[in-house]
Amino acid sequence: MASLGANTIAILIALGSFPVSLALTRFFMYWNSGHGITGIDVHKLNRPKVPEMVGVAVPLTIVLFAAIYSLIEGASSIPLLAYSLVVGLAALVGALDDRLKMRGIFKPLFTLLCGLPILILGVMFPGQIYNSTLHVPLFGGYHLPVIYPLTILVAVSVTSNTVNMLDPLNGSMAGGISIVAGGLLIGSILIGAGSTPIFLYASLMFSLLGFLYYNRFPAVAFAGNVGQLSIGASVGALAILGRTEIASIVAIFPNIQNSFFFLSRIRRFTEHRELISRPTKLLPDGRLADSGDPRAPLTLVRTLLIGRPATENQIVSTIWMLFLTSTSLAVITLLLTGVVI
Amino acid sequence: MNKRAVGYELVVFVTQWGLILIGFGILTKLVAPLNLLDTTLSLGRIFDAGMKGLIALILSVAWLFIWDRQVRRYFQRRPRQ
Repeated sequence: MASLGANTIAILIALGSFPVSLALTRFFMYWNSGHGITGIDVHKLNRPKVPEMVGVAVPLTIVLFAAIYSLIEGASSIPLLAYSLVVGLAALVGALDDRLKMRGIFKPLFTLLCGLPILILGVMFPGQIYNSTLHVPLFGGYHLPVIYPLTILVAVSVTSNTVNMLDPLNGSMAGGISIVAGGLLIGSILIGAGSTPIFLYASLMFSLLGFLYYNRFPAVAFAGNVGQLSIGASVGALAILGRTEIASIVAIFPNIQNSFFFLSRIRRFTEHRELISRPTKLLPDGRLADSGDPRAPLTLVRTLLIGRPATENQIVSTIWMLFLTSTSLAVITLLLTGVVI
Repeated sequence: MNKRAVGYELVVFVTQWGLILIGFGILTKLVAPLNLLDTTLSLGRIFDAGMKGLIALILSVAWLFIWDRQVRRYFQRRPRQ
């Protein structure tokens, strides 16, 4: 072990989150099914019942491995604690929403509070959690002692909700965010980031891949808000802890595209289940098509289906390709961050 | 699957990426060095940061506006009969 670099050790430890996430996902599939926590897969002709809230396996794995890594790398325990608290709080908000079916406005409000551990621990341990200097690609950087801490709360809320909104099809969220985490992991290694963000990106990616095994088409497990919000919060927290703020915005372009046009059309925070007009419809041959309803939101999936129906598998592959493109731009952004013109 | 729509999505992403780099460049090189208010005054530092934050917010709104225009242009046209 002594001959291995810190980054290699970090990635090797994080690799363990794949089998753990896989096992936890399988456990929650059976447990949730047995307790009636199920949802209907509305994009299949036979409308199968699928266990819901199984995405809880991902935040549990992430927090467990953050604790394991903290025991090994004692010096990193404060940022790991902040990260675990953010992910845990977002999972709690998601679980409450899954069980209580809160109104759409409450999720962004409650997730605003999820960034508090980073802010509070950042004030208590200056320099250990975040750095108020924003590094900008090609142009250097600037110090934001007042604004940066305040944007932490907004950042975690935005990322958790935008990830929550782009999970309409089997594997779209888990696969997409795996690509984002994988790309930012590669970018962080290339720019020589510390071993803690490298571990956290690797842990997020491997946890998601474990869940994706059961969530991919045809899904036998749904993430639920508990999974979606905590995974989104994890992306936001990592953007701050890993100093990948601008690159993270670029990597989640497909999520931003989806959320922005949903909000610009609907003009309020609402749940998909509360929508009267649906953006897509299921055809008798099992393919999905644009609903053609002018009152329905223009979601990312709907834009891909304008005039040409497609199978769920084809749409999800295309969404992953879009994530691959945005993540490639994010990696270039990270590489340009060290370059000043 | 609408291949043209996929192409448009990629154009939107690359355009927005270019704009985000330019926007942060403007903030770094032009806005951040400005002394909008006397920072030696009490609360001067807070108001100075607030003014700069407002400029950043306006740039973000402009960024989203351009994004919105692009999508409306590409995806909300009437399909050719």
